[in-house]
Amino acid sequence: MRPADWAVLIASVISVALYGLWRGRRSDSVDRYLRAERTMPWYAMALSIMATQASAITFISTTGQSYVDGMRFVQFYFGLPLAMILISAFAVPAFHRANVYTAYEYLERRFDAKTRALVSLIFLLQRGLAVGVALSAPAIVLSVILGWPDRWTTLIMGAVVVLYTALGGIQAVTWTDFYQMLIMMAGILVALATAVAMLPDGVSFLDAVAIAGAAGRLNAVVTKFDWNDQFNLWSGLLGGTFLMLAYFGCDQSQVQRYLTGKSVTESRLSLLFNGIAKIPMQFVILFTGAMVFVFFTFTEPPVVFQREALEKARADARYAAVAQRFDERFEERKRAAWDLIVARRGGDESLLRERAAHYRAAHARLEGARKEGLNLAREASGDPGLNDTNHIFLTFVTRHMPAGLVGLIMAAIIAAAMSTISAEINSLATVTVIDVYRRHLKKEASDRHYLLASRMATAAWGAYAIMTAQYAKNLGSLIVVVNQLGSLFYGALLGVFVLAFFFRRVGGTAAFAGVLCGQAAVFAAHLFTKTAFLWYNAIGCVAVVASALLISAAVDRHRG
Amino acid sequence: MKGPVEEPPPFLGAWRRVYAAVVVYLAASIALLYLFARVNSL
Repeated sequence: MRPADWAVLIASVISVALYGLWRGRRSDSVDRYLRAERTMPWYAMALSIMATQASAITFISTTGQSYVDGMRFVQFYFGLPLAMILISAFAVPAFHRANVYTAYEYLERRFDAKTRALVSLIFLLQRGLAVGVALSAPAIVLSVILGWPDRWTTLIMGAVVVLYTALGGIQAVTWTDFYQMLIMMAGILVALATAVAMLPDGVSFLDAVAIAGAAGRLNAVVTKFDWNDQFNLWSGLLGGTFLMLAYFGCDQSQVQRYLTGKSVTESRLSLLFNGIAKIPMQFVILFTGAMVFVFFTFTEPPVVFQREALEKARADARYAAVAQRFDERFEERKRAAWDLIVARRGGDESLLRERAAHYRAAHARLEGARKEGLNLAREASGDPGLNDTNHIFLTFVTRHMPAGLVGLIMAAIIAAAMSTISAEINSLATVTVIDVYRRHLKKEASDRHYLLASRMATAAWGAYAIMTAQYAKNLGSLIVVVNQLGSLFYGALLGVFVLAFFFRRVGGTAAFAGVLCGQAAVFAAHLFTKTAFLWYNAIGCVAVVASALLISAAVDRHRG
Repeated sequence: MKGPVEEPPPFLGAWRRVYAAVVVYLAASIALLYLFARVNSL
């Protein structure tokens, strides 16, 4: 990072904090602090929803995913527009009519206090586990790539977020999300433009697209169905719809965004805009990864993108031979790429296909050499699960992008992290105060008292996030486990809301037991089958609805 | 489920039409991405 980069990064972080404090300066009642008095316009909520979902690690790893596996990850978002329609049609009017602060408050109106308490607890557990990881994950990657001490990164990032979120509440969160989303979009467009502009003379944009296509990096739609594959058209449409319904319809960190809308129309428009904008946005991010792949077709990449692991591998006597093979195969693939470009321009279709096959063969040989290097790095670093996908994009940014732009990309990554964390601690505090403290611990107190409690809960969740982030590095691969644990709970949450909206005859006891049965079904699927994670939401949801209906019918028969 | 009094959307006249437009948009996006993948698969 050069001085210009630091200037851009520091200016970005300070301006976000000041903007948040200014926007949240009038949060002097619980309603203003937690719900912005329901005055938010659709565009602010829409970008806040998008910013909350886009975490730093998604930003970093999506481009890397495209580099190693192509663009098929975009299919993950095919269910999003469908989910946005269903939430707009059913959840938004129900939540607005009930005039609630949290989605779980609605469950007490519809069922009973114990169902609300159980679902609130599931949310606090799930989000509580994730918030520290959301803060630490980008810090760990930045520490490896740039040498920044990860403890200081999490501390500074966390402190800035806690400052404006605790003082400004939801208004600060929503408007800083809006601003941060603009920074993210600027960052990714600049990265894409730079990757294309830095291709060598003689390689046009269309040549780059042809190379990426020949290497299978533009495989945006895969029509073959496979239960165990998360990224195909069918899992995206069906599994993706369930996941997005659960995340946007039942997770308070998202529901709270559109509960602030000044009308049902504004809230619906914000969700539908999210459904429309997300697919092209993910396309651009993934396409950037594909262009970074083409860039590294002409500029030699490191054998392993994870710098620390590469250093350890270099100390091994076998590394020199691996590196030499990698160099030779890189040159071979580069020549094959130039041959492909010449064939593309010649217009001879059969020659083009022949050169493309030749290029793919050269690419497969280079991948073989890279795999040897990766295995050596795994052995040398004592980490058999070592994966350098998350380091690819940042290696490109820090080693090849010009001064100033590196700072913009870092600002975009940190903005992505901060926007996610601010929404998470804001929603955790809201559920803690509204669904636990005000409901069970102190039922009658002044608005001023609950406002203070909300600020303190926000600060406490922020402090908790910073503290858990300090230890997350030591969790190693457990970070993956914690993330996966989070997705184990969504199906049951979705199921209970489906019951609430569509099965009027089901009562509180059946719903409560249904959530427990659904949760058990998901845990069983996780422990005893190899079903892809994306399907857990559908399994959990169906299990909750089916078991609640059975229990409800049994209770009705018993009553007679 | 009894719905609230429906506010009309700012365009297309009815929410049902807005939702249909979003479905059409999704279908068109998938078709375009499929073509993009096919054309560039070599």
